Formats: sequence, structure tokens, C-alpha cells
Amino acid sequence: MSARMSPREAVLNRVRAATGNAAPAAESYAQLPRNYIRRGTLDAEERVQLMIERLREYDAEVVECAPGELPAAIAAQLARSGRHRFVAPAGLPSEWLAEGFEWKVDRQLEAAEIEQTEGVVTAAFCGVANSGTIVLHHSPPEGRRILTLLPDWHLCTLRASQVVETFPEYFSRCEQAPALVTWISGPSATADIEMTRIKGVHGPRFLVVILVRDRS
Amino acid sequence: MSHAAAARAVLDPAHAPPFPKAALPVLRNPQLRKNVAHAIDVIQSKRARLVAEKTDWQELRASASAIRAHVLDHLAEYLEQFEARCTAAGGKVHWARDGAEANRLVAGILRDEGVNQAIKIKTMTSAETQMNPALEAAGISVFETDLAEIILQLGEDEPSHIVVPALHVNRAQVREIFSRRMEIPDLKDDPQVLTAAARHYLRQKFLTVPAAISGANFFIAETGAVAIVESEGNGRMCLTLPRVMVTLAGIEKVLPRFADLEVMLQLLARSATGERMNPYTSLWTGVTAGDGPQSFHVVLLDNGRSEILKRKTERQTLKCIRCAACMNACPVYRQTGGHAYGSVYPGPIGAIFTPQLMRLEHAQSLPYASSLCAACYEVCPVKINIPEVLLELRARVTDRERRSFGKFFDPLYWGLRVANLLFSRAWLFTAAQRLGRIGLRFFTRRDGWIHSLPSVGARWTMTRDLRGMPSQSFRQWWDTRPKEGR
Repeated sequence: MSARMSPREAVLNRVRAATGNAAPAAESYAQLPRNYIRRGTLDAEERVQLMIERLREYDAEVVECAPGELPAAIAAQLARSGRHRFVAPAGLPSEWLAEGFEWKVDRQLEAAEIEQTEGVVTAAFCGVANSGTIVLHHSPPEGRRILTLLPDWHLCTLRASQVVETFPEYFSRCEQAPALVTWISGPSATADIEMTRIKGVHGPRFLVVILVRDRS
Repeated sequence: MSHAAAARAVLDPAHAPPFPKAALPVLRNPQLRKNVAHAIDVIQSKRARLVAEKTDWQELRASASAIRAHVLDHLAEYLEQFEARCTAAGGKVHWARDGAEANRLVAGILRDEGVNQAIKIKTMTSAETQMNPALEAAGISVFETDLAEIILQLGEDEPSHIVVPALHVNRAQVREIFSRRMEIPDLKDDPQVLTAAARHYLRQKFLTVPAAISGANFFIAETGAVAIVESEGNGRMCLTLPRVMVTLAGIEKVLPRFADLEVMLQLLARSATGERMNPYTSLWTGVTAGDGPQSFHVVLLDNGRSEILKRKTERQTLKCIRCAACMNACPVYRQTGGHAYGSVYPGPIGAIFTPQLMRLEHAQSLPYASSLCAACYEVCPVKINIPEVLLELRARVTDRERRSFGKFFDPLYWGLRVANLLFSRAWLFTAAQRLGRIGLRFFTRRDGWIHSLPSVGARWTMTRDLRGMPSQSFRQWWDTRPKEGR
């Protein structure tokens, strides 16, 4: 009989026969134990300090600025990087595109064109202080996934009000499950050779975070 | 092609020698043992520090274990849900009963897309199905992109660990392989330089190869999304740049909801590499217009998993999230490294997973490749009771042997039959003790120890001494002791 069954039917039938479980999953799902820490205990200032500390442990560079100073802070970091050709997501605020640099704005740029740029500037969805993780949901100001991948240098802006302490707090901020996510915890790295951590294998080798001190 | 030949020779459980035999060359190779011990010491100390700082570690483990067990109990429902959501999001879901079917499916998908080259993210599942040789045979060139996998592919070697597959190779050996295969004569053995060489070697491949093959860390039933956890960014390259993408993973890799990642991601990186979080985790849902591959396929692989699901004790094997904490903690793995297990899944999890995938027809020695110390159970982030499964599998191996004709040729069988007889009759037992005492007297030195025995006994005395038999047994003493009036 299995010869005439499609692989799909065959696998699902075997699984059903093995588990012999007809009860819908939803009920027992609701009963699953969840006694881990969901909410953090730090105040707003401590939370931001922890985020900065964790990012620096990953060898990311962090600078802080007031909301009004953001365009100037971006320009200063671009200049410091010693690079000239940058790519920007289509939805990046235009005042972030500092003058004096060559900008390519991503309107479905080819990979080869992005590859020729030296850096990228994006916004972020959220920051998780406990693990120093920057979360991108790839909305227009965060850019397509390829933008934060090919250039060697990534400048990311993060507002203090976007920083949460724990991972569960980030998940409760997602009103609906996002279709695309990249969780970034420090620059690309490997420890495949003798467990020595080496920065920058394929992703950006340099991660710079501008932390905007808005009210949180 | 030599890679394919090596794969069949070394890591196919159907042809691998039994564990005690396969472990010998490693035990005699001090360089290999040093490489393995060094890497494991580094991971272990980092892991211990980061787990200690997590005050809710045990609560996270309890949740992760319950979520994974719940998924397995309702696997069919979650698989159908995943399939429906992934399809609605523009993905195409395929099913494979076994490894050969999965390989044919992937080759077919790539052929239909008119593709003869593919880049790969490290996937244990494709190593399980021996996909690379199968694709090469179908005329598709495959390029591994994980640094460790490049080291292995170019060095015609096999993985020895599921998270750090080349942990048995040191920097001088990597230098030699890269220098020869990438034709860079004056390469230095600095990991920084070697990593840069790999980056340069792969960049053009990422930009030009039209298809990618990946595994999956998690499928999300609620949304049809796929998640991949990595460090280097080669994974992101593979899921972003090519126009065709194929993901192959076992049917057990499902999670009910997106938010369940809040548990798994907190546990996985700490357990696997001793980091608070791995550098990159990616999640995508079907096809997104204008971002990433526009043709996306998922192959859901059974290959013996539904068989494992049948047995209550063994079912927990499928809770595994492939963090490798068990092998890093294992005193046996530390001595033998991964190749001795003769499977792409080494260490304690391999010792229970591989024989079950083989339906116990091969790899019967693996359930014995353990001291049952339970260090693996203690570190497992999803609380798989590996010793319990090991014992269950030992019992099943023994049951099979009991029913086989070959047992009559096994000296152990006869030894145990004789022991059975002796232990069941008191007079025979006493007589045997007497005989033993007389016999052993010839070998007992003046210090009361036996230092060497002939024949089978030598297996013991080769590495340790044996206390000589006392002049009186306990029962003799009991019968002849001065009885106090009571």
C-alpha cells in the first residue's frame, strides 16, 4: 500500500501511528511550564549601560548622542571610518545621508553594486541588553537583508527606548510574528580554528552602534 | 570524488567498524587527542561561566524540554500547520521518506531550476543523507561555505563534532590544506590570515552561484518560518544572495510558535559555543518579494525518525536541538574524538541517535560507548535523559543477540552461561571458589597482589593489579566464627 502513497501521506501516517495522539495541541500547549525570567529588573539607565557593555564585549563600537545630534553623530562616524562609498536602505531618513560621501540608495540594487560599497547605515527594530543583541525586522529604514551583509562596515542606530533587558521582553514587543528577522550579536565571527575567536568571516567585520538617548 | 569515497569509508554507520576498534587509531594519535582536548576545554570553561550567570537556567531547561516533548506528541498536527503556512507564504514543501529520496528531491529541484552549482551552509542532515556525493553524481557541484566545512571539504576529511566540525584539526594542518588547495604557497598559520583566505576564496562563489542548500535549526509551525543559527555570516550569504534556496531538515525540528524562540535561543548559544548569543540568527518566511531567493523549497525528512517516535523512552532523542553540549561534557568523546563513532552524529547524542536511525541493524556498539556517568544529561538544554536511552538500547541490542545464532560463537555467551550455573547452586559456587583460590595462589605474589595473569585474565592485569583471594571466604568465616552466648 505504501508504494502508491505519496511520500507526504506515508510520512504523516507513520508519524500519526507512532504518536497515536488525536487531542488538539492547543490545550496542552497552554499548560507548558514557563517559569523563566520574563521581565528584567534594571532601571532605564542601567539597561542602556548593560546594552553598551555587552556590545563592547563583542568588539562592537558604541557612541552615544542626543536625539537632535543624530545626523551629526552619523556624519562624524562616517568620517572616522575613513570610507567614502556607502549604501542606504530606501526608507532611511534623508537627513542621515551626510554630505561629502558617495551614497547609493537601495532601490533594488544588484548584489555587485552593493558589494562595491564600503559601508551601510541602518536603523534597528530593537536591542536586547542581556545578550547585546540588535534585532532587525528589515522594515524600510532597516533595509533588505543583503544591505547589512555585503558591506564590511555596519553603522546601526538604536534609540534608548528601543532597548529591552530580556529576550522574552523583545518577543512581547512583537505584535505579530515578523516574516524576516536577523538577530545580530556582535560582528561576524568564527572560532573554527583552535577555538580562537576571529572577527569578520563573511558578514561585516565592523559594527558601530549609535545609541540615541531619547526618553525611554 | 575522493571526498565521496572517503565519506563512505569513514562516516557511514552501515560500514563503520565497531566503536572500540574505531577508537584505537585516535587513542594512538597524540596530536589528534591534544587538538580535541584543547578545543573542548575552551568551550567547556566558557559555557560554565555563562550558564552560571543565568539564574533561571533550570527553568529555561524545564520549559525547553516541555516544549520539545509537546511538539513530538503532536508532531503530525504541527507539521501540517507548518506546511500550510510556509506554502501560503510562497514556499514549496516536499516530503522525503528516507535519505536517498531526499537527495533525489534536492537534485530534481536544482535540475528543474536549471542549476548545476550550489553553495551550502553547514547542515548535519545533509551529511546524514550523504547529499554531497549524491549531488556530485547528478552533475551538481557543491561548495561548503562554513569555515570548518571548507577545511574538511578541501582536506578530504570528515566532521568530528556537530558544532565545531573541524575541531580535530589544528592551525598548522589548516595552513597546509589551504595552501595546497587554494594554491597560496606563502600562507601563514595565523587563524586571522587563514580566515581571511577563506573569506576571499568564497566571496566570488557567494556572488555568482545561483542556488543554496541549508539545514534548519527550527521550523515555526505558527508562521511557516525557518530559523538558522550561525556565527560567520556564510549562512546569511546563502539565504540572501542566490535565487534558489533549498532547506533540508528532519521532521522533528518544529516549534509551535515564533515566541518559543525566546526559550531556545537563550539556551542554544550558551550550550553550543559558550556565548551569550551567537553572532547571527536569521529567520525567514517563504518568499519575500525583492529580498532574498524568489524560489524557496523545504524538504522534510523522516529517514527513521517516525520509527524513533514510536517508543516512549527513545522518543526523547528527537528533542535534540544539536547544541553538542553532551559531547563537550563526555569523558569518552574527550578521549576518542568524533570519528570513532562512525557517524556524522558523534558523542552521547550520536550514541543514541545513530543506532536508532540504523534501526539497530548497524552501530550496535555505540550504546556501549559510554560510562553512564550522566554528564551529558546534566548539561543537555532540553533534558534528554541520554543514559536512560543508552540502557534501553543496550537492552534491545542484547535482545537481538539473544535471538541470533551467532551468540553460540561468542565466548562471552558461554562464560555467562557457566556463571549462571555457578551462581544458581550454592554447592557449585563454593566448589568454584575453592578451585579459584587454589588456582590463583600460583599467581599471587608475596605482597598479596596478582600482577599478571595468563590468557583472558591478562586483559585485566595488563593495566591494573588484582587483589589476591583471601584465605577464607565470608561464608566460611561466618560458619566458623566464635559464637558468643546471647
